[in-house]
Amino acid sequence: MSIMSHNGGAVIAMAGKNCVAIASDLRFGISIQTLACDFPKVFQMNERCFVGISGLTTDIQTVLAKLKFKWNMYKLNEEREMSPNVFANYFSTLLYEKRFGPYFTEPVIAGLNENNEPFLCSMDLIGASMTANDFVLAGTCNESLYGTCEAFWKPNLEPEELFETISQCLISSLDRDALCGWGAIVHVITPTEVISRKLKTRQD
Amino acid sequence: MARRYDSRTTIFSPEGRLYQVEYAIEAISHASSAVGILTKEGVVLAAEKKITSKLVEVSSKTEKMYQLADHLACAVAGITADANILINFSRVSSQQYLHKYQQPIPIEQLVQQVCDWKQYYTQIGGLRPFGVAFLYAGYDDYFKFQLYQSDPSGTYGGWKATAIGANNQSAQSTLKQEYRDDMSLDDALKLAIKVLSKTIDSTDLNANKLEIGTLTLDPVKGPRFQIFNENRINDLVQQCDIKSKRDDDDDDEDRNLLRSSGMTTK
Repeated sequence: MSIMSHNGGAVIAMAGKNCVAIASDLRFGISIQTLACDFPKVFQMNERCFVGISGLTTDIQTVLAKLKFKWNMYKLNEEREMSPNVFANYFSTLLYEKRFGPYFTEPVIAGLNENNEPFLCSMDLIGASMTANDFVLAGTCNESLYGTCEAFWKPNLEPEELFETISQCLISSLDRDALCGWGAIVHVITPTEVISRKLKTRQD
Repeated sequence: MARRYDSRTTIFSPEGRLYQVEYAIEAISHASSAVGILTKEGVVLAAEKKITSKLVEVSSKTEKMYQLADHLACAVAGITADANILINFSRVSSQQYLHKYQQPIPIEQLVQQVCDWKQYYTQIGGLRPFGVAFLYAGYDDYFKFQLYQSDPSGTYGGWKATAIGANNQSAQSTLKQEYRDDMSLDDALKLAIKVLSKTIDSTDLNANKLEIGTLTLDPVKGPRFQIFNENRINDLVQQCDIKSKRDDDDDDEDRNLLRSSGMTTK
């Protein structure tokens, strides 16, 4: 019945040694009906800042359009791009502005700041934000994801290890959630490159 | 006689003129000049920088040219403070269009929106017009590269080559003589420098007095606006000077002439 589980979906981000990884499932569905299996919920703002948004799909799309608007205006006015923590703060403000009629989205922001240090942030649908140095997540299987992440995450993972860890955590939880799954996409962000990989999961 | 009818924007004079608008246009002819040239490879915008004191702390990369969107840029002549308002309006307007239609704003649409606003200030409210003229350079999928000019009355037009600001008539006549439809971007850059060298009052041109930008289409990244840095401008000025000096020389310099016209800029 909950609006946040109408479309389903999960996003997760983890920090490693001078790198971050962000991933989401690929399902787009309306209630019990799955309509697409190529619908990522992670979006790139630039090579160092990614945002994953879970929740009601129409609000994901609307909020993303608003974020792009503000990102572009900031870039034109300030002649530089938003850093991940500035972006996270802006996102939080955007959500709180709709405090009494919110966007049904729970985002996760992952990026590298100017010193190539990992930055992770998640927030609830009205903008209460939390930064973490291990992992952040949101979605319909969030309780399960908390379990797998606590179990598998450890500090200072190299990019390849981080990829393995985040993938295993995500897949284990997706498989037990009816509203998430149908594949996953993982982006690993390092100071020099972004590696994106698609994962094949149980197609149910 | 004119004095009775020129203090308010919202009234016509007996001869059917709007004096405030004309005075605004006059204000721009005292501003430093800007030139725009359209080619199939891109649009060149070049402008004269007002000589600034060494004490000025530069806050923005450019003084006369501004990027309005990924595919749009403008050069300004006139009152800077007025220009800043309209530039911000253009930027917000472009993003609103992108938000609504998920597509970059067609250049003419943006020019019309700014001009509608400029016209508003010539008719309503008793506020003075904006004392700014713009040259807009842009690329869209409908008409490819385009160059537009707008003035304080809100009139705009599409151009192949045009100039605004001080000495714009002499700039326009030079452009009329030398512009060719099939010019390359390099040719246009050299022509822009040539035109500015005639309209600027100083004896020598260098990067301190010039601002140059090009709007081109990268096959992968899409339209982009680039401001030339000091070295690039100085190189360009040097190449143009070589060419114009050799133009004046005798025929035994023919070989050198051929060499310089075949040279490409960086």
